[in-house]
Amino acid sequence: MSKKEPKIISFLCNWCSYGAADLAGVSRMEYPANIRVIRIPCTGRMSIKFVLAALRQGADAVWVSG
Amino acid sequence: MIKNKIGSVMVVGGGIAGMQSALDLADAGYYVYLVEKKASIGGVMAQLDKTFPTNDCAM
Amino acid sequence: MNIEIITLAEVQDIQGEAGNFSVDVLRHPRYIDEDKCIACGICAEKCPKKIIDTYNAGLSKRKSAYVEYPQAVPLKYAIDPDTCIYLLKGKCRACEKKCPVDAVNFDQKPETSTLNVGAVILAPGFEPFSPVKFENYQYAQLPNVITSLEFERILSASGPTQGHVTRPSDHKEPKKIAWFQCVGSRDMNRCDNPHCSSVCCMYAIKEAVIAKEHVGDHLECSIFFMDMRTHGKEFERFYENAKTKSGVKFVRSRVHTVNPVPGSDDLELRYVTEDGTIQTEIFDMVVLSVGMQTPPALVELANKLDISLTPGNFAETSTFSPVATSRAGIFVSGAFQGPKDIPQAVVDSSAASAAAGEMLADVRNTCTKKQEIVPEINVQGDRPKIGVIICQCGTNIAGVVDVPKVVEYASTLPYVELATDKLFACSQDAQETMVELIKEKGLNRIVMAACTPKTHEPLFQDTLTAAGLNKYLFEMTNIRNQNSWVHKNNPELATEKAKDLVRMAIAKVAMQEPLEEVELPVNQTAMVVGGGIAGMAAAKSLAEQGYETHIVERDAVLGGQGRKLFMTAKGESIQEKLAEMIESVTSDNRIHLHLNTQLTNVDGFVGNFVSTLSSNGNATPLEHGVAVLATGASPYLPTEYAYGTDERIITSLELDKKLMDNDAALEKLNSALFIQCVGSREPERIYCSRICCTHSVENAIQLKEKNPEMNVYILYRDIRTYGEKELLYKKARQLGVIFIRFSIDNKPVVKTENGKLIVNVVDHILNMPLELNVDMISLATAIIPNTDEKLSNFFKVATNSDGFFIEKHAKLGPSEFATDGVYLCGLAHYPKPIDESIAQAKAAVARAITLLAKETVFSSGTVAQVDPMLCASCGVCVSICPYSAPKFTEDGRFAGKAEINPALCKGCGLCSASCRSGAIHLKGFDTDQILMQICEMDEAV
Repeated sequence: MSKKEPKIISFLCNWCSYGAADLAGVSRMEYPANIRVIRIPCTGRMSIKFVLAALRQGADAVWVSG
Repeated sequence: MIKNKIGSVMVVGGGIAGMQSALDLADAGYYVYLVEKKASIGGVMAQLDKTFPTNDCAM
Repeated sequence: MNIEIITLAEVQDIQGEAGNFSVDVLRHPRYIDEDKCIACGICAEKCPKKIIDTYNAGLSKRKSAYVEYPQAVPLKYAIDPDTCIYLLKGKCRACEKKCPVDAVNFDQKPETSTLNVGAVILAPGFEPFSPVKFENYQYAQLPNVITSLEFERILSASGPTQGHVTRPSDHKEPKKIAWFQCVGSRDMNRCDNPHCSSVCCMYAIKEAVIAKEHVGDHLECSIFFMDMRTHGKEFERFYENAKTKSGVKFVRSRVHTVNPVPGSDDLELRYVTEDGTIQTEIFDMVVLSVGMQTPPALVELANKLDISLTPGNFAETSTFSPVATSRAGIFVSGAFQGPKDIPQAVVDSSAASAAAGEMLADVRNTCTKKQEIVPEINVQGDRPKIGVIICQCGTNIAGVVDVPKVVEYASTLPYVELATDKLFACSQDAQETMVELIKEKGLNRIVMAACTPKTHEPLFQDTLTAAGLNKYLFEMTNIRNQNSWVHKNNPELATEKAKDLVRMAIAKVAMQEPLEEVELPVNQTAMVVGGGIAGMAAAKSLAEQGYETHIVERDAVLGGQGRKLFMTAKGESIQEKLAEMIESVTSDNRIHLHLNTQLTNVDGFVGNFVSTLSSNGNATPLEHGVAVLATGASPYLPTEYAYGTDERIITSLELDKKLMDNDAALEKLNSALFIQCVGSREPERIYCSRICCTHSVENAIQLKEKNPEMNVYILYRDIRTYGEKELLYKKARQLGVIFIRFSIDNKPVVKTENGKLIVNVVDHILNMPLELNVDMISLATAIIPNTDEKLSNFFKVATNSDGFFIEKHAKLGPSEFATDGVYLCGLAHYPKPIDESIAQAKAAVARAITLLAKETVFSSGTVAQVDPMLCASCGVCVSICPYSAPKFTEDGRFAGKAEINPALCKGCGLCSASCRSGAIHLKGFDTDQILMQICEMDEAV
């Protein structure tokens, strides 16, 4: 990852946002490469632990979408 | 009584109606031929933006 | 596996008889080998020919080599022979030269084959009405006059404007949009479509509301209509909210002309308002709400196949066999059966499956294929030996990501036994190599870095299964859709990202354990609650398909509300048909009747319910695998319109009784009056009862036919004779029935004066108060669900604010509940006429049989599990689970601790995230695994 760019970690719901991210690819949209996606079965799975762990790990932003 | 009954069904049309029939029949133990006029299934519903009431994406 | 999709194909002819048909199917060439095509899209990219994109309703262009849309199934490209330069002029073949897998094949020829099948279901759909010939709307001339389907594409994020609402002429965002209803529907003057298309009112409201969401509140939306027909479940509420919350304007008027405003792309509309004045208004855009019609080619095919059509060219069906065509063994569903919305089409389609199943039950499983089972290797406790496969996806990934570099990197990571790449990992030969590699190298975990798991995970998991490896010892990471495709101008960063993603996947899979899918038997007995028309139809269909069925009815007799009804909208005698139905249910030895019986308890879960049936104080247990709830509804007992004060004021059902009894007094009436929406569409009961308009119109016709001299009035708010019921409305008007509209804030007043029945109402055309002296008043009363809270609790099924059961999905799961193994039909779901009730009963059965037919169910492996040692018995999981999977253990060592039934768990993880003690593990997505992914996110490379 580029040092200048913020590091973003995203937790995407398998049923909607993850599919949307796929569709962005199918539509050949472009966005910066500083994002790492973790697929989760549902945003219901999302736990505050994961947000804290990501921040502790040096993420500049955490994005939860579902 | 029908002679030589065949345990397969043909569904003509691959829109939402045809797909539902095909899935029900295949899951019930019948072999299904799903015949669609176009190059892919999905029908008109695939063209709709969102559907009431949840405004789910029609896809 | 048991559905063979045959695309670009048409049925030419059907020979034979029910149970054994030969169908001639003509397959048009795709010119692309489906087995080879990897949907990389290079053919479309290289194709020089641009043509109109029909998927985007003509609003954009695509190529002659195409795939209709990115999520198409099958996701295989095709070449359009009508526009392909090579096929027309013999030169080009650019696609063929560039295809990386040699899938293009111009030698393909049309082929006709004959397929043998036991039954045929026709679901060919409709065509949207083309408004080109409506000269006064100038659709063909004015770019900003578009159809509703075109507007759907404009709203869609995948459409030509990416969901930005702009008008076609200048791509400006519109400020005012008008919708015109009934374009190509309810119209015999300008076209030949007498029917109502049933769906346009609702979709116009939806489009207006969504357009306002996209553009903002300042967008003015006006819908010009004749009768607002929002007769579906939750539709009336949506209509009310559109008016009051979204600010959509509703204008009761048929616009007669659209003219361009000189010097701009705006449109001038001229119309007559309700008070009779002529209005001129300027709009930026006009959307024509086009109706549904049967395409002419389909009419031709139906004639050839000997299938009778209705006057509106839909397949003719009867009320009590709503999905059977006039030809035995050929069934119909969807819009070819009559114009209808998605839920109704889904109901019909399942009903058609049940109807075909009733005929073919004895040959079930004779043509289907079963997968071979490979014994699973036990790898529990073994050190992870991970195989990493990086897919090049032709150039899709390898064109951006430096694949060899990623392979090299992956092989340095912990536990990685082998890292390799494949040109196309999904291809048949790559799958075979994978199986060999797993066996040869003794791999016990696989990481696949390729496209998206949403489409390809099951395929690769099958490969693992075929190699004898537990399919959960697998992790897929997406380096195409979410990497190479979106960072194509940044190959270096894309390669770094691919490395990170692979490392995260390896970290996760290393922690993965083999998961077990618990196998549970499905009891092959069914229980139907309710012995009305819907309940009996469901029981009969279950029995015909070979299942022992129990009907639980609280009354002493079968028939429910059907016993009170006179005639169907199609003119069939309900009592005659009902008697036949009761006889066939009673005489069926697979159907067990429990009359005067109530359900007093339900235990268990999908496939394994135990219900307690109580009758006269005796309780008996019944074990069953599925339950169909058909608990029906009751008529509203009116307090308004002086009901109960005079015996000449009756309800619709009381009039039905008089008609059934052939009451001689009816013929002697000089006048009769119907009042609609009695107890429906009121603030306290907002829904429309759907059937009352048709019912009153039908009874008005009966009275007129008995005595043509009788003055018959129908006082209404909107006439909702949807579909071909519109023809009855037309007939009533032709017979001289007088329709007077009233509004909710100016309702008719009924009184008796000196023995006379007087109704005061304001006439909507004259705008004058009228006083009508009538001999009989029939009140069209609301339909109220038989809400039974106990039953809802027994099966953990919810009801909406109106008291109707809430189905699994309003569109795609209308006849089943979110609770597995429980299904619904009839009036308990929503008011509906008999044909729709029977269709839904059969649909519920079709859905139930997909479960019964399996005989066993497997829970998913990725389910939550409680560690009872850590569980604090707080009950959060029990209360929040949407699927009722957790409950407290009743006895044994861990009594009082939570446990999760894997058969009910959907693996959403809500419980796991909410558990304060960290006692719940979500297998496959466990906290440790996700934490490992997070930790590996950004290790210095």
